[in-house]
Amino acid sequence: MLEKAGIPAVPVITSVFEATANEMARLWGLAGFRFIMMPHPLANLAPEALDERAGALVGPVVTLLRRGQVA
Amino acid sequence: MSSAADGIAVAQPASSGVSAQIEYCYARGWTDGLPVIPATRPLVDAMLAAARLDGGTVLAEMPSRNARLTAEHVAINAVMAGCRPEYMPVVAAAVKALATPEFALHHVASGLSGSTIVVLVNGPIAKRLGINATNNVFGPGPRANATIGRTLRLLLLNCLCYTPGVSDRATMGTPGKYTCCIAENEENHPWEPWHVERGFAPGQSTVTLVAASSMLQVWNYGTHEELLYAIGDALSFLGSIAILDQSPGAVVLCGEHAECLRESGWSKRQIREFVVAHTGRRIADLKRAGRMDREIADGDGSGMHYAMDTPEELMLVCAGSATGRLSMVMPGFSMEKKAGRSRTILIEE
Repeated sequence: MLEKAGIPAVPVITSVFEATANEMARLWGLAGFRFIMMPHPLANLAPEALDERAGALVGPVVTLLRRGQVA
Repeated sequence: MSSAADGIAVAQPASSGVSAQIEYCYARGWTDGLPVIPATRPLVDAMLAAARLDGGTVLAEMPSRNARLTAEHVAINAVMAGCRPEYMPVVAAAVKALATPEFALHHVASGLSGSTIVVLVNGPIAKRLGINATNNVFGPGPRANATIGRTLRLLLLNCLCYTPGVSDRATMGTPGKYTCCIAENEENHPWEPWHVERGFAPGQSTVTLVAASSMLQVWNYGTHEELLYAIGDALSFLGSIAILDQSPGAVVLCGEHAECLRESGWSKRQIREFVVAHTGRRIADLKRAGRMDREIADGDGSGMHYAMDTPEELMLVCAGSATGRLSMVMPGFSMEKKAGRSRTILIEE
């Protein structure tokens, strides 16, 4: 929705939801939409582990923002 | 607009044999796992005619699924579920209820909690169609209960692509996901029925949907206060997904419990306030159960958190057998306070 509004966006999901995210993209007519995946689970991480997980995402997020959804 | 719902169609099997037609539907994935009635054109047309609906009429927009449900889609699935044509007005109202924003269908249908969608029917149509409101009300038997509820599930599977393991990510699911439809017992009722409370006339008929991630039977032969204390406990069990965010629960009172409350002379408001006041859990217990972070601190042994904070949001409905003291408690559906209960929708006959 953000992308449709002209705002670059990067969806981040945990790996077990890959098929779910792809199906949602397909229903929206956006097959091949790119996601960044991280390991599952997330909900039970301690704050320090969460920070570490977020830090690891910065590089991929910046790369995808620069690259954009269009190949 | 293309619609995800267009994946379903009138069945056109090559063979006229009944078993071959059923296998035709299985082969296309048009099933909840149980055999469906092949939705041939005459059967679908009869379904539409009974509700005086044109097939192209849009009954619900589902933006989260990029789909719109037409009367044709709904009628096809109603036939497949085994509905009689006269059930179609109830089904159509239930589909409109699915699309109400406050129900938050995508959250209900896709989430890990795998909720049952309970279809509650009020008003005179329930008796006319034979929708069970009494013995074994959540159990098997009556065709109307079984097939009206099943139609919604088939629509989610066949038209809204809530495929288990793909877009329906329930960890456990519930048996109620096959079907769950009840009527309120308006003849054995201490107060006005649910739809009247919602502003409808007693002679009108309505549908309300409730998402239930858990259903707990409360067995209680005590006084009205003892009963309501036990109901408050069931609404606030430590494993309830809704306990932290105070999502409102629903209670289906059996005949003897309704009678116990009638005899108490308590108003609905008094009952709601008493129940909600007894949905408290000690902070220390929530921490022991891992529902709250951090170590147990001074004061946590007496500090309380309440599973509900708004008495008027507690849904009270009467149904089930007149014999026995077992009521059904459905704690709040999710971690979203306002999700999981539809607007009450008028059935247009």
